[in-house]
Amino acid sequence: MSTAVETPEVPEQVIEAPSTVATKKNRRNQIIALGALAALGAVPIPFGDYGFFIGQYAAVYAMLGLSVTIVTGYAGLISLMPYTFAGLGAVMTGLIMTGWGWPFWLAAPMAALATLPVSLVVGMASVRLKTLYLAIATLTFSTALGETFFRWDLVTGGRIGWTVASPQLGPIDFGTDLNFYLLCLLVVLGLVWMTEGLRTSRLGRAMLAVRDNELEAQALGINVYKTKLAAFVLSGMMAGFGGAFLAVLLGNVSPGGYQSPVAEVTSILLVSLVVIGGIDRAWGAFFGAISLVVQSQVFQGARFFFPFFGMYSAFFLILFLLFRPGGLVQVSKITTELVKRRPVFGLAVVLVTVALNLGIAYIFIRAS
Amino acid sequence: MTLAINPIEVASFGISAGAVFGLLALGLVLIYRTTGVMNFGHWAIGLVAVVSYAWLTGEGMLPQAALPICLLLAMGAGVAAYRLVFKRIARSNQIIVILVAVGIAQFYSSLAALVLGFRPFTRLPPWLPMATLEVAGMRLRMSDVYTIGVGLAIAVGFFFWFRVSRSGQALRAVAQNREAAVLAGIDDVRYSSLAWAIGSGLAALALLIIMPHSAGQQGGLITTFDLTPLGTLLIPAFGAALVGGLVNLPMALVGGVFFGLTREFLVLAPAPWSELRTSVAAILIVVLLLLRTERFFATRQELEALEA
Amino acid sequence: MSILETKDLSITFGGISALDEVSINVEPGEIVGILGPNGAGKTTLFNVISGFLKSDQGKVILDGEEIQNLFPYERVAAGLARTFQHVKLFRNLTVYENLLVAQHRHLSSGSFAAMLRLPSWRKDEKLAKDLVEKMLDTINLRPWKDARPSELSYGTTRFLELASVLSLKPKILLLDEPASGIQQREVEALGPMLKGIRDETGCAIVLIEHDMGLLFSVSERVYALDFGRLIAEGTPDEVANDDRVLESYLGRTRRDSVA
Repeated sequence: MSTAVETPEVPEQVIEAPSTVATKKNRRNQIIALGALAALGAVPIPFGDYGFFIGQYAAVYAMLGLSVTIVTGYAGLISLMPYTFAGLGAVMTGLIMTGWGWPFWLAAPMAALATLPVSLVVGMASVRLKTLYLAIATLTFSTALGETFFRWDLVTGGRIGWTVASPQLGPIDFGTDLNFYLLCLLVVLGLVWMTEGLRTSRLGRAMLAVRDNELEAQALGINVYKTKLAAFVLSGMMAGFGGAFLAVLLGNVSPGGYQSPVAEVTSILLVSLVVIGGIDRAWGAFFGAISLVVQSQVFQGARFFFPFFGMYSAFFLILFLLFRPGGLVQVSKITTELVKRRPVFGLAVVLVTVALNLGIAYIFIRAS
Repeated sequence: MTLAINPIEVASFGISAGAVFGLLALGLVLIYRTTGVMNFGHWAIGLVAVVSYAWLTGEGMLPQAALPICLLLAMGAGVAAYRLVFKRIARSNQIIVILVAVGIAQFYSSLAALVLGFRPFTRLPPWLPMATLEVAGMRLRMSDVYTIGVGLAIAVGFFFWFRVSRSGQALRAVAQNREAAVLAGIDDVRYSSLAWAIGSGLAALALLIIMPHSAGQQGGLITTFDLTPLGTLLIPAFGAALVGGLVNLPMALVGGVFFGLTREFLVLAPAPWSELRTSVAAILIVVLLLLRTERFFATRQELEALEA
Repeated sequence: MSILETKDLSITFGGISALDEVSINVEPGEIVGILGPNGAGKTTLFNVISGFLKSDQGKVILDGEEIQNLFPYERVAAGLARTFQHVKLFRNLTVYENLLVAQHRHLSSGSFAAMLRLPSWRKDEKLAKDLVEKMLDTINLRPWKDARPSELSYGTTRFLELASVLSLKPKILLLDEPASGIQQREVEALGPMLKGIRDETGCAIVLIEHDMGLLFSVSERVYALDFGRLIAEGTPDEVANDDRVLESYLGRTRRDSVA
C-alpha cells in the first residue's frame, strides 16, 4: 500500500545517529566512549596513592550517580533519596561481611538485592505522583527510612557500626589504594556500559517515552506505572550496589551516616553532580563525579575555602540548568564541534579553559 | 521540675512548634502560588537571617535591634533568588525548577557557613523573654506564649492585608491568575518579588523564633553547616503546606498546628513511637499525597490537556 | 458480531452532559465516520472508548469482551488504538525511535537482558528494527527517519502518528481529525490511504473529521452527535440530508445561548 504523498526535501539539519537504537555506529560510539573513560582513569596514576584515593571516590560517586541517570535522566522521575538506598546497600554490606563473614563478592550483589524490596515499596507508593509531589515524597521517605530502618535493631543488631574489610580475590588484595581503585574503575565502566545498554532496549525506550509524553506512551500500549516503577527499582538497586563499594571505601559503616539530614543533602549533591555531568547519557554521571570530587578535593585542601566549594558548585549547577541543561556531555559535544570546524581557535579555547582551571586549583592548594 | 505531664502544657509546646511550621508553610505556599516555585531552598534563605543574627549579636548589637535587619537580609536573599534565577525558568518544567531551588539552597547554606567560619558553636542570644509563667499550676514558657501570639498576629494581619489593601489584592490577583492579572495591567514581576520577599521573611522569622530559643536560658546554638532547619523543620513545613493542597494559605497554618501538636504529643507516647516523630510526620505526608492523586483515570486537568 | 460496540455511554462534567446514552457499533473492517459540531462530545467518546476517561455508566465491548474497566494500555493490548486530535509524539526521539517505541507490545526482553546484551535482547532489537523498516516504507516516512518531530511539517507528524498506531497492529483504529492542519494534497491522499490500510490489515476505522469531503468519501456509515447525544445514523447520503444534522450545524444561535 504505497501512498500518493510526494516526497518533499529532507530537512537540511542532519541529526546524529539515534541513541536509543542499537546500530553498529552506536555500538562503536559506546566502545570509543568507554575507551576514553578508561583513558581518563589513567590520570590519577602519576599522583600516587592520593590520586588513587580521589579516583576511588569519583568512581564510587559515579556508581551512585548512575542511579540518578536511570531514574531522572531516563524516566524523568525526580528522586531525592539515592543516598538512602546507597546507605541501605552499605549497611547490608557491613552486616553481611562483618556480621555473617561472607566475602565482598557475595555481599555486593546481596546489597543490590536488599534494596529491591525497599525501593519497590517506596516506588509503589510514590511514582504515580507528579514531579513536585514526588520530590516531596522521596525527601520524606528518605527521612523516614533514616529514622526507622537504620535504627532498627534487627538490621543493626543493636550496633552503631561495623568495620568493613577490603575484598580479597585469591592472592590479590584489594586493600591497596591502587588495586581497589582499579576494581572501582572496572566496575564503574561496566555499569556505564550496562546503563547505556538499557537505553537501547524495550524498557529503556519506554522510560524515555514516558518522560516525554505519558498520554502518548499509554496510547501506544505502554504501562506507564510499571515502567516508572521499574526505573525506580533499577535505580535503587544501582545505588545499593554502589553502596557496597562506598562501605569498603570508607572502611566502616555506621547507619547514622545515612540518616537525616546528611542523607538528604548527599542525595541532592548526587542529583546535582549528574545534572552537571549530563543527565541523559550514562557517562554524564562519570564526568559529574570527576568534576565534583576533584573540585571538593581542591577546595578541601584549603579548609577556610570549603564553603566556597558549596557556593561555587551551586553557582555552576544553576548556570548549567539555565544555559546548558545537557550538562558537560553537551559542553563536550559543542567543544568537539568547535574544534572540528575551527581547529586553532577551538584548541586555544580548550587550552585556556584547562589552564585557568589548573591555575585556580593551584592557588587554592597553595593557600591551604 | 515535675515529671507529671499536663496536656495543656504539651499543647502549648505543640501549638508554638505548629506556629513555626505554619509560618514556614505560609511562605512556601505564598511563593508557590504566585510564581509556581516550590522552594526547596526555603530553609537556607531563613538560615541567612539566622547567621546574620549570630554575627550582629556577636558584634554586640541588641538582639531586638538585630532582628529586623536580619529579616530584611533574608527578604533580599529571596528576592535576589527570584529576580536573578527563578524569573528566567519556565515554570512548566518542574524538574528544572526543583533542581534550581536545590542549587539555591546549597548556595545560601554555603554562604551561611562562610559567614560563621569554623567555630564549633556560635551562640544565638534569645530575643523573646525566657521566663516561665505559672498559671493555675501549669508551667508555660513565655517564649511559647509569644510565639503563638506572633503566629496569630501574622495570620490576622496577613489576611486583613490580603483582603483590604491594594497591594494585597494585586498579589492575590497574580496568585490566582497570572495571565489575567498581567492583562489587567498588574506588574507581575513586582508582585512576584513581593511574594518572595514576604515568603522569605516568614522563613527567616520562623527560624529566628525557633533557633535562638531552643536551649533554655542560654538561647540557642548554631554550628557551621547547620542542617537542623532542613532535617527537622522542612518536612513538617511541607506537610503543613500539603494540608492546604499547596495553595490554601489558612489551611497551611492549620496544617502547621496539626503537625506541631502531633509531634509534641508523640513525645509522650511509649518508647518506639516517641523516637519516630519525624517518621510519623512522613507517613502523614505520604497519606496526604496519595489522597490527592486520582489513581486510575485521568483528572480534570489531564482531560483539559487532552482536549486542548 | 461487531468488533466494537458501546452501550449507553454517559458522562457528565460539572452537571453538563458530555455524552448521553451513546450506543454505536462498528463491524469488522468497516470505516465509520463520526460527525458533529465542536463540543458535541466526539473526542469525549474517543476518550471513553480508549480508556482515558471513565464513563459514569455504559459498556464498551471490543470483540465480545467488556473493556470499560481496563487501563488504556490494556485496551491497546486488546486491539484498540487511537490517535489524538493534537499530535502527541515523543519530541526528544527521532522518527525512527518514535516507531521503535510503538513496537513495545511486540517485544518481551527485560532490563537485565538489555544491560548484559543477552541473546533475547538481540532478538528483540532485530525484530523491532525489521518492523520499523517495514512501516517506514508503508507510510513513506523513510526520508525523515533521523529527524525529530519538531523538524517535520505538521502533515508529516500526522502520518508519523498514524504509522505509530498502525505498528500496534490494532483490530480497530480510532482517528481523531487526521486531516486537521494538513495541506490539501495530503488530505486528498489520506482517503485512499485509509482505505488501503483497511484493505491490507482488515482493521476497522472510526473517524472524527471536520473535512466533510474526506469524511463522506471514506465512511461507509456515519454517526452524527450533538450535545453528547446521537442524532442520526446511516449512510453518508442519509446523514448529510438529515434535518437534525443540518440544524445542528446551522442553528448555532441555540447553542450559543446555552453556552
